[in-house]
Amino acid sequence: MGRKLLLDKAHIEGIRHYDVYRREGGYRSVEKVLKGMTPEAVVEEVKKSGLRGRGGAGFPTGMKWSFLAKPEGMPRYLVVNADESEPGTFKDRFLMEFIPHLLIEGMICASFALGSNRSYIYIRGEYWWVKEILEQAVQEARNAGWLGKNILGSGFDCDIFVQPGAGAYICGEETALIESLEGKRGNPRIKPPFPAVKGLWGCPTVVNNVETIAAVVPIINDGGEEYAKIGIGKSTGTKLISACGNINKPGVYEIEMNISVEEFIYSDEYCGGIANGKRLKACIPGGSSVPILPANLLLKTAKGETRMMTYESLSDGGFATGTMMGSGGFIVMDEDQCVVKHTYTLARFYRHESCGQCSPCREGTGWMEKILLKIEQGKGTMSDIDLLWDIQRKIEGNTICPLGDAAAWPVAAAIRHFRDEFEWHITNPSDALVRNYGLANYAKPLEVMPA
Amino acid sequence: MSEQKQLFKVTIDNITVEVEPGTTILNAARKIGGEVAPPAMCYYSKLKDSGGKCRTCLVEVAQGSAADPRPMPKLVASCRTTVMDGMVVKNITSDRVIDARKGVVEFLLINHPLDCPVCDQAGECHLQDLSYEHGAGASRYEFKRRTFEKHNLGPYIQLHMTRCILCYRCVYTADQVSGERRHGILSRGDHAEIATYIEKSLDNDFIGNVIDVCPVGALTDKTFRFKNRVWFTKPVDAHCSCDKCSGNVQLWMRGDEVLRVTARKDEWGEVKEWICNTCRFERKKVSDWVIEGPSKIDRHSVISQGHYVGVQKPHETVAKVTGRKPKLLMNIKNVSEVNQVDLSELKGPATSDVFKQIKKEN
Repeated sequence: MGRKLLLDKAHIEGIRHYDVYRREGGYRSVEKVLKGMTPEAVVEEVKKSGLRGRGGAGFPTGMKWSFLAKPEGMPRYLVVNADESEPGTFKDRFLMEFIPHLLIEGMICASFALGSNRSYIYIRGEYWWVKEILEQAVQEARNAGWLGKNILGSGFDCDIFVQPGAGAYICGEETALIESLEGKRGNPRIKPPFPAVKGLWGCPTVVNNVETIAAVVPIINDGGEEYAKIGIGKSTGTKLISACGNINKPGVYEIEMNISVEEFIYSDEYCGGIANGKRLKACIPGGSSVPILPANLLLKTAKGETRMMTYESLSDGGFATGTMMGSGGFIVMDEDQCVVKHTYTLARFYRHESCGQCSPCREGTGWMEKILLKIEQGKGTMSDIDLLWDIQRKIEGNTICPLGDAAAWPVAAAIRHFRDEFEWHITNPSDALVRNYGLANYAKPLEVMPA
Repeated sequence: MSEQKQLFKVTIDNITVEVEPGTTILNAARKIGGEVAPPAMCYYSKLKDSGGKCRTCLVEVAQGSAADPRPMPKLVASCRTTVMDGMVVKNITSDRVIDARKGVVEFLLINHPLDCPVCDQAGECHLQDLSYEHGAGASRYEFKRRTFEKHNLGPYIQLHMTRCILCYRCVYTADQVSGERRHGILSRGDHAEIATYIEKSLDNDFIGNVIDVCPVGALTDKTFRFKNRVWFTKPVDAHCSCDKCSGNVQLWMRGDEVLRVTARKDEWGEVKEWICNTCRFERKKVSDWVIEGPSKIDRHSVISQGHYVGVQKPHETVAKVTGRKPKLLMNIKNVSEVNQVDLSELKGPATSDVFKQIKKEN
């Protein structure tokens, strides 16, 4: 049984409300921070913990905080990115819905460390009921004196505001989120300047994921070094994984980053194996935009090592044979799933969510969707696969924000690992309409390449 | 005045220039000029915050600066990236850039209607220039091109949304030049469009400038619509005393007729001075203007067709090699009725009447 730092009390009845949360030891970290620590000490503690951003990129949080510009006479802001829109990811929703006070507690600590007197939670518009839960929690915290002026007599003022988005995936990109928070159209900004220098209303801003901020609480309570002991190497602490797809027990799991992917999928503590006795075909381990992997590459790296649920191990082999930890949206596909159709679904999503600002993403995503639909319907040609590869290559890296990359990677990985299946769709158009390609060789153990 | 400004040395395609700190790579490259300057479809030096969107100006930074010589991993938008001292940039010398730019041009063209034969912008269209210089011969796109519902922007400005490349220039122009914006971008992704939310006409003294900044034929002058092809008209510089703007304009004339009035543009196709709607749309008589003389047109432009200055024709080698003059297979004037007319000598627009007249004379 792995240790749980974030969700250990999630199942206590009434934990959503302040009284129960406080009784269970909540807000201890705020007391510790405001009564005896300097902002620098908090940042140092987070640095020691090795906490990495949980939103997808995995950038060290302590480092990000220390990059924040601190010009005289200018306010600084903390913005929590709760615009969780990546298909397959629903961990933040669980956190906010069941233990909203954990997020608020983490935000007060982080705001103190960053010197933010007004902190924002930018929440996805579709999570309207979660917004109400959060607002209630903020009000409870305010009534109990954890928010407002001069908290605990420390002289530190802080307030938290909850702002809902209007349902655009792109507003999860930090600069688009800032634009949207300012009340403008959610177009990503061109970087540099980075938000750490010029963010919300032109002021230095830190944008962090919900889970990252929540993880600050155990780091403060137990100390950064204690947190860093969990996990392997640079993947420290625990990670929330939202598992979905063809598994017996879909749901949000908190894992210590020291278990293998195989254990995560097949153990009864976590996913409980593939549903209906089917076999594993493919998996997207980090939310829809990270590369998809066939079963054989998922469980073992190209070097023949066991693949672990860590940032490093999942990305072992780069994009050629690896993938990414991403945001932890773990999508499992069994042998009955069609990768072509799946890739088409994702392409349709990215086409719909592209902001339309820069040309490669605006035009390329729609083009890819059309070609994938054509192949899916059995009207494709072999040259379409190469064309698709060329289009994704020309989108990737050439756009303002990472949405272009996010749209290109799934297509690239699907062609890289499942080219057989694409070709089968083209050569057997009538078969492709009535049945799927099946498991084929995708679970066969790979020959280990000599190092 | 002992304080001397520190200049940054930046090398673009092996040519080194010194520029002031804060200059963008694009502007540094424009200082060198010629092919070294990356093409720009959305960047407009006179509009704040413009640029970064079309991605045609992507360049490779081979060395970040003298202090930190690491290369930048991704191609960067040269119009929004400022130079550092000792920066080394590769534009046309980089295969990655050429490849990416080709991709961007293809992306811009997949949904573009390519209705150049009926488009008023043809001949002075930046997208035409771009695809001529950087595009591929054929498109690999085989699907239906996107279309939009028509919006009426009032009596002066014609919107063709299908031609738009969403450069946002007209949005910035309305904000920064006319001071009042009634149009904007609706929707997102490939269904994003320029429109007024509730049907409204664009009505502002300086809103006509959106026509000049539009790099394609998405916003054109309704008073000039289908009047003539730009390469049949003669651009002349003219001015008038106008109480709203400088009055320095360019007239596009056909004989004694003023067909169109635009602002004067610099070598990068950017407006030099904004002009007001009265000058642009109302003053269409020669008597309204003081004509200064013919405008200088880049000799590569189709607008200067037949009026090349200082042109050097290549030596005819056929006679030398074969020892006889090349054989004329067909004289076009014997076959075609249209080519009987020397268009540059026509007084007015070339209409069917002109050709009927010629036919009668023959």
